[in-house]
Amino acid sequence: MRPGKRAQARRERPSTYTPAPGRRFNVGDRVVIKHAFPPGHRRTPYYIRGKEGVIERICGAFPNPEEVAYGFDGEPAKVLYRVRFKQNHVWPDYKGPARDIIEMEIFEHWLVPASGRAKPARLPQRND
Amino acid sequence: MSDKPVNKGPHDLGGTAAGPIDTTDHGMKFWEKQANALRNTLTHKKILRVDELRRAAEDLGDQYYKLAYFERTTMALRTLLLEKGFITEAELKARMAEVRARFDVPAAAASPGRKDAGR
Repeated sequence: MRPGKRAQARRERPSTYTPAPGRRFNVGDRVVIKHAFPPGHRRTPYYIRGKEGVIERICGAFPNPEEVAYGFDGEPAKVLYRVRFKQNHVWPDYKGPARDIIEMEIFEHWLVPASGRAKPARLPQRND
Repeated sequence: MSDKPVNKGPHDLGGTAAGPIDTTDHGMKFWEKQANALRNTLTHKKILRVDELRRAAEDLGDQYYKLAYFERTTMALRTLLLEKGFITEAELKARMAEVRARFDVPAAAASPGRKDAGR
């Protein structure tokens, strides 16, 4: 590969900040991860299912890896979000400071809007 | 929870006791480098996708942690090449016998799928 070609190839790929029009959620929205246990290649860790978090950023739209894993093209692309969770919510016996968080990237089809009254966690302002 | 969680893959370890982490550099054996090169070439050419390799590795189930990393990824590669019809089981067997004979590999030599392999 010629010098610079690799960098060029990288630019042509969707960036991690690709706007994803038609998405269901925005930064600051509260979401619950689906409490579902389907078989197959799933990109959502077991321990986070059923937990509630806040959308921290929109990563972009990507071919659905849960379909690509079985030889399909993964289209239409699914919107990927970075979701922020409080550690002491994810792990009930968590011993660390209450401000500790964990973030992970989760596809839209794993997210449902959260109901309830609690205010969303404070998030940095981002333009997506 | 005493029951085995439903449809939890062997790769999905979050929240389970991990024990000490082995941080020694084990380097790469010759066959591991070759297997890596083959896997990288096939994914680069879009013949295989990394998601397919992950799926095939996760489908190893209880075998997943009995195998070393490169054994696991090579088993996944084998599964996909058979699945996509690039090779047949018979061709693979014949070729392995041929290569084994050519190199006069002792029975206990390191090979994918053998945990008792001499290291």
